[in-house]
Amino acid sequence: MQAFERLLIELLLRFTTAERLNAFLGDPRNVALLVGALVAISTALCGVFLVLRKMAMTADAISHSALFGIVVAFLAMLALGQAPNLSAPLLLIGAAAAGVGTVVLTELIERSNLVKSDAALGLVFPFLFALAVILVTRYIPNVHLDTDSVMLGEIGMAWANANSHCFANCESVTITAEDPRAKMARRCLNCAAEGISPRSPGAVFETYCANCGTFSAAEAWQRRLIAQPPELVFVPRALMPLTIIALLNLLFVLLFYKELKLTSFDATLATVFGFKPALLSYALLILVSLTAVAAFDAVGAILVVAFFVMPAAAAYLLTDRLWQMLMIAPALSLAASLIGYETAQSLDLSISAAMVSVLFFFFVLIWLFSPRHGLLLALFRRWQQRRLFAEQLLLGHLYNHQHTAQADSESAQSTLHEHLSWTSDKTARCLARLHAKRLVDIRAGQVRLTEHGVALVRAFRSELALH
Amino acid sequence: MSPEDRRVWRFISAAGLGMALGVPLSMALGVSYDYTLTNVALGGTLLGILCGMVGTFAVLRRQSLIGDTLSHAALPGVVIAFLLFGREPSALLLGAAMTGGLGVLLVNWLVSTTRLKQDAAMGIVLTAFFAIGVALLSYIQGRAGASQAGLERFIFGQAAAMVERDVLMLGAACAVVGTALLAFWKELKLLSFDPDFARANGLPTARLSALLSALKVTVIVLGLQLAGVILMVGLLIAPAVAARQWTRRLEQMIVLAMLFGAFSGGSGAVLSALEGGLPTGPLMIAVAFSLVMLALALAPERGVLWQLWRRQLRREV
Repeated sequence: MQAFERLLIELLLRFTTAERLNAFLGDPRNVALLVGALVAISTALCGVFLVLRKMAMTADAISHSALFGIVVAFLAMLALGQAPNLSAPLLLIGAAAAGVGTVVLTELIERSNLVKSDAALGLVFPFLFALAVILVTRYIPNVHLDTDSVMLGEIGMAWANANSHCFANCESVTITAEDPRAKMARRCLNCAAEGISPRSPGAVFETYCANCGTFSAAEAWQRRLIAQPPELVFVPRALMPLTIIALLNLLFVLLFYKELKLTSFDATLATVFGFKPALLSYALLILVSLTAVAAFDAVGAILVVAFFVMPAAAAYLLTDRLWQMLMIAPALSLAASLIGYETAQSLDLSISAAMVSVLFFFFVLIWLFSPRHGLLLALFRRWQQRRLFAEQLLLGHLYNHQHTAQADSESAQSTLHEHLSWTSDKTARCLARLHAKRLVDIRAGQVRLTEHGVALVRAFRSELALH
Repeated sequence: MSPEDRRVWRFISAAGLGMALGVPLSMALGVSYDYTLTNVALGGTLLGILCGMVGTFAVLRRQSLIGDTLSHAALPGVVIAFLLFGREPSALLLGAAMTGGLGVLLVNWLVSTTRLKQDAAMGIVLTAFFAIGVALLSYIQGRAGASQAGLERFIFGQAAAMVERDVLMLGAACAVVGTALLAFWKELKLLSFDPDFARANGLPTARLSALLSALKVTVIVLGLQLAGVILMVGLLIAPAVAARQWTRRLEQMIVLAMLFGAFSGGSGAVLSALEGGLPTGPLMIAVAFSLVMLALALAPERGVLWQLWRRQLRREV
């Protein structure tokens, strides 16, 4: 991963200088936005398929039990005598394994046919989470489990934790007593022991080298041992795993677009065609686990689920096409992380929480106003249909009685509402609409169909008969 | 009463007796029931009973995960109540119940008005409410200047903070929930096993569902203090899932679930006292999950071992 990171920086250095790169990556705002964008894209791509496959809560479970994997990997590193640090690749692997393990365990419990799928999921992840908490308090009590950073992430601090890469003047410097840069100093050998001052005549001195030793290029520059500063580039640690995951997810979706589409919408058909839906499903879940873990640092275990589910769900309400969903979901997520960051900065809120709140705001807007599946549109349509139905009912009533002996009593404007069991207001409004459309005539308190009205009733009756 | 019924009732009494023996056993092992432990153990037991009662219906109606949504959705309510009324416990509980209930309503509303399925709706509501809660919390913390350390307590629960008043409240909740379930027993039974038939017979299914949701909200909000947000859903459903394996009758299932819940809650507290320093909430879940595994393996007729044995017999024939 380090080598890859270096390669990427070398590529970037062709276009810009190290100072500008460091200035850019040293700015908390830039890094937070970059991390937010990477999280947004990689989660939204997986999320689309999670929502389509009705596995949104699986993502929730995975993100919780990932903590278990991290704790176990941490303990394993302790047992192996390695110095555990929280960004080691082993922790990533452990977390991903725990994520997949959750799914496998859930399916095992489910397949015994003794427990329904929702209950199986609800059993497994609290248990793994509980186990993780117990292990932490039992075996690593001195590592304080920082709830806020695990649950909420620290996207605002992502810039501070960085890897350094050196590109020029990188040689470490070794200073020996013979070196012209060596600073020689004198120290009194017997002053402390005999309690005398260095000035007293009995003091014995030795000369020694005060700055001898081996220094990395950066240290050497700090101590002014070299004339040319080393060319260092500092890269926030969170960036590289997220970049790799984002690329991996993008590659997965592009390569297996057809297969993912088929298995998400019709798993049976996919099996008939000789695809392996289960295999693809596991591949997807592995990616979800890795994505969750990589995004964990930035936005936390609970809120990462929002990035999986909300943009995809919002896109699902906007379009029926898979490729459009795959465009809309990351775009929404990106926009939300940008606006969320700015909101958080100006109101002094938790950044990840603000991002998710904005995402939810977007979702609600789309839910209300979507031109395809929006709530307001649905209400408007229902209202329109109710009006149309009322009009057709009234027209039909007039049509049924128009040439009968009861025509006068059945079609009197004043008593019409009694025959239809409507309120007189509703009848009057409906009549007014029909009159405006010139479908009825009102003469001397009598309502009669016009020719146009008769034709309309015949038309919708024959249509009904066809159905 | 059929012989099978009688067998299960006998099993329930034996299990109850065995679990009650845990108290003298723990005393023999050197657990001293001081004021704090008595409160926590009693609180855990009562919460377990509540979870058993409500969880039974959640599991049977396939609404296990709604508990997770509900517990996360309680956070903004707690924070808003804190903003308005300060550290008044009943206000915090009320706030939690309000937004928790709102979350459940929103999930139902999303499912009924959009083409999103329940899992997506739950995921959205869970994270959105939680995020709003966290945003509000960070706002308070920013204004107050000092950290209120509220989130940690909310996420992991803080059993040691149980006082007599909390135990009394849990006891009262047991009485209320128990009475409500008994009063609508027949209707709820029908609703759980055949909702369509219930509706066709003119039962107010929507109102009955709302009653169950309200009970669920009550239990979860009261349990948050002990078990925390994330573990609450496990405590809600594990006793019921374990109980389901041993019996086919609702009466037996709910009694057994209450028993399992009580045992998980009580022994979680005692284990935490025995093994100093281990957190109570996670231990409760661990015990409850072990009971589930035991049931899945051993339960007569259904259990995995039983199935294997029967398959073996068939092969021999």
